[in-house]
Amino acid sequence: MAQIELGGVSKTYRDHIAVHALADVNLAIEKGEFAAAVGPSGSGKTTLLNLIGAIDTPDTGVIRIAGLELTATPADRLADFRLRHIGFVFQSFNLFPVLTVLENLEFVPALQGVPQAERARRAANLLEAVGMQDLRDKRPGELSGGQQQRVAVLRAILPEPDLVLADEPTANLDSENATLLLDMMERLNGERGITFLFSTHDPAVMRRARRLIQLRDGRVARDEVQAP
Amino acid sequence: MLFWQMAWRNVWRYRRRSLLTVLTIGLGLAFNILMRGIGDGFHEQMVDNSVRAEIGHIEIHRAGYQHDPALLKTLPDPQLIEQVVPHTPHLRGYSFRVLGDGLASTADNSAGVSIVGIDPRAERTVTTIDRAVIAGKFLDARMHRPILIGERLAQTLNAHLDDKVVLVVQAADGSMGAQLFHVAGIFRSGSPELDRGVVYLLRNDAQSLFVLPGGLTEAAILLDSSQSVAQAQNYLTRRLSGKGVEVLPWYVVEPFLRQFIQLDDAFFYIIVLILFFVIAVGILNTVMMSVFERVREFGVMMALGTRPGQVVRMVVQEAAALGLFGVALGAAVGSGLTILFAYTGINLAHYAEGASALGITTTVIRPELTASNLVFSDLSVFCVVLLVALYPAMKAAALKPVEAIRHI
Repeated sequence: MAQIELGGVSKTYRDHIAVHALADVNLAIEKGEFAAAVGPSGSGKTTLLNLIGAIDTPDTGVIRIAGLELTATPADRLADFRLRHIGFVFQSFNLFPVLTVLENLEFVPALQGVPQAERARRAANLLEAVGMQDLRDKRPGELSGGQQQRVAVLRAILPEPDLVLADEPTANLDSENATLLLDMMERLNGERGITFLFSTHDPAVMRRARRLIQLRDGRVARDEVQAP
Repeated sequence: MLFWQMAWRNVWRYRRRSLLTVLTIGLGLAFNILMRGIGDGFHEQMVDNSVRAEIGHIEIHRAGYQHDPALLKTLPDPQLIEQVVPHTPHLRGYSFRVLGDGLASTADNSAGVSIVGIDPRAERTVTTIDRAVIAGKFLDARMHRPILIGERLAQTLNAHLDDKVVLVVQAADGSMGAQLFHVAGIFRSGSPELDRGVVYLLRNDAQSLFVLPGGLTEAAILLDSSQSVAQAQNYLTRRLSGKGVEVLPWYVVEPFLRQFIQLDDAFFYIIVLILFFVIAVGILNTVMMSVFERVREFGVMMALGTRPGQVVRMVVQEAAALGLFGVALGAAVGSGLTILFAYTGINLAHYAEGASALGITTTVIRPELTASNLVFSDLSVFCVVLLVALYPAMKAAALKPVEAIRHI
């Protein structure tokens, strides 16, 4: 059984006009994949990630992650599911400005009930492992965009989720910082076996993905595994 | 703990706004404590004035006298009552009196008066009438048929010291009694009722005038504080049960006074409600702004697995931090001002005429700081802050992560 399974998933946003964000999407992603959802703006990449991340619900279809059918799960259990199984990296970093880097990393483990000393130790170890220990006591406002996004990735992976979803993680970074970030994601994917699914329309990032899921007008136009 | 840290730091994230909110809460609470203190002091002084001017904290009469006073309704078994009263808890003094009505006349004029026959030494332990004498002397058992009259009555009768005043009464035996008295002193109590319509005689003279040999109408009892009334009343009621007497606290003897205090309290509570409304609007504005500015942050928190209840808790914790600072500030300033004014007094000399109509005979009000005032005010303001914060907190918790994250 694949880690992520989507069957006949559709999503339409109705504001003033109806926008078909996803239409009859069928997809399966295996554990440990390093995959990218690609396509032009409005093609449905972010919607796909939001649905898989259980922060949005499809109009029709079934989404199953690690055996749990999200579409049949009540909202309060979905919050717990996200806490235990999914890590998020957002386009605009979205670190908590009142917390230090170390405290930002501790946030999800704290929600999980990990004791303070243990989560601080794990966060410090992770920062050291990626050579960012000097930043531990800084607030997000004191970091560059690239540093903030790397901290955001670390926040997503520290609780050791099954899956990390990253929405345009390099969109606000220069090429050097984008490369650093992708290096880190690749390394964590390789070392820890965490599945990464990210959206991008940056060709440089696409080249790093091992699987490209091409979306167009809310449909999977092409799904291909790239040669290393 | 991390939520507390976040809440705490979020409070100081917008320092000026938070300080203004703390100031709003603090000044509102301080005003509340001071107003309550002034009210308490004012009421205590009214009660004390009334109690010390005439009625005492407790009065004992023959049963039914309060409802329908009559000369013949004297205390049954006064010897027993005289034995019981000195053992009353919290007792400071007591006075047995003879009461009746009559007509006071001089060569120039006459006026209806209430006649109070007293033992001067005992009366001094209950009322302050001896200190209200502005001309002549207070009654003395060695004087011959002295009479003490109020300043306004003296003006009405055109009576001066040593002048003769004739009291005409209907005596207990049905006869008309008329006796001549000499003005020994003129008093100014500040109470228009007393100054205009009450005369004091020696108790023996009053018993003779009303043909009530050995008869006593009431016992007026002064306690160490109005807080002791219930305990003293219980004691006296228990000891005098079945003896045909009524043991009445001051607020039954002077229901107007209690009604006035209740009415005054009601006005105060309306002011408190308005004050709470202002505080509520202040805190609502601050917390709503704080939530609105962090919509995306809440969205991220919830996407990461924060439950709605935890979001509510964090927002309420932020309000609680503001509330705690505000309450601490308000309690300190309110208590400080109340203590300061209790020490210096608030001079109401400009309003002395109006105040005397309410039974306030002193022109300086001293606010009182009571534990109940402080605790009740602090807790109420803090609860208002928490309750008001619930609304924006629930709004934050109801955000949909996917929409909140997109919020600009």
